[in-house]
Amino acid sequence: MEMLAVIFIVAGLFFLIVAAIGVIRLPDVFTRSHAVSLTDSLGAVLLLIGIAIYEGLSLNVLKLFAVLSLLYLQNPVITHATLRAAVRAGLKPWKEKAP
Amino acid sequence: MTTFFLGVLLVLAALIGAYLFRVLQGPTIFDRVLGLNGISTKAIIMLIVIGIVFDRVEMFIDISTGYALLNLVGALAVAKYLEQKGLP
Amino acid sequence: MRPVSSQFLFLKTAALFGMWVMLSGRFDLFHLGLGLLLSFLVAWINSGHSPFVPRFQLWGRIFLFLPWLFLRIVQSSLHLTKLILDPRLPIHPRLIRYESKLKEPSAVVLLGNSITLTPGTITAEVNGQVLLVHAMDDVSSEDVTSGRLEAKIAQVFGERDSRA
Repeated sequence: MEMLAVIFIVAGLFFLIVAAIGVIRLPDVFTRSHAVSLTDSLGAVLLLIGIAIYEGLSLNVLKLFAVLSLLYLQNPVITHATLRAAVRAGLKPWKEKAP
Repeated sequence: MTTFFLGVLLVLAALIGAYLFRVLQGPTIFDRVLGLNGISTKAIIMLIVIGIVFDRVEMFIDISTGYALLNLVGALAVAKYLEQKGLP
Repeated sequence: MRPVSSQFLFLKTAALFGMWVMLSGRFDLFHLGLGLLLSFLVAWINSGHSPFVPRFQLWGRIFLFLPWLFLRIVQSSLHLTKLILDPRLPIHPRLIRYESKLKEPSAVVLLGNSITLTPGTITAEVNGQVLLVHAMDDVSSEDVTSGRLEAKIAQVFGERDSRA
């Protein structure tokens, strides 16, 4: 059982690391927000599922899923609000150079 | 197993460093807001892992829930403010 | 003060009490009684303000929609991971104007939320039924532009897909 939890947590950490690389590498706000949403929607989920498996069946698992659903509800809202502010402020999205 | 979770904490701290780079360096103010949002997600996960290390998960999950709710309100307030103010 | 609907009061009290039990985690008489009292008080104070009517059938259908969404999230996450780790960074970001046919505001909310939740596409602006979607490249935006996501959500809300 612990082995399964370790696998899930390591997979979650992998996606979190990829997201951090994306946040540093990508060229502008819009593309970076994609990387952040990758963290929230897959990395955090896998990590918290791993922790829930490690904890075993108890009330804590229910609480963990409450935190998870809270993350799932609020992160799109925050990303959308930030990007809407960026669009309304007149920020142009990055475009690749024409070949 | 405690060693493993301490390692997870170290990796998460290093990731917060990556986001901090974006907050400090970001060309526009929106990059900074985005970086702060990413840091807060990491902090929520970190709090839960800290709870496992200290064997007090039920308490630390409550703390992380409160942190998540406060983060939502704060991020929305900043976004609203920037929307009215426009690009500085 | 508006009249208080007893059904609404009961549902809200039950929801708040469930939250209380989950957060407190103690099952002695004092904690349960205090929680019941407080949740009833909060529900009673709030009962005059909200026109909210729960639609359990709709919630059930949304719940059945979630596994499909999660599958799509996993697929597009893997695609985005490949894009980010590629040393040449082969991204073609662009803004797409997408006009939705959904009539209910909550359906549009669910559509925008699903789009943002899927890595690779993000709703940047919603104005009535017109969504401004920022997409990483053609593969990740394919779900939105082909209207597959919208058809799924129209099915959830029981709206007829008018383009069919």
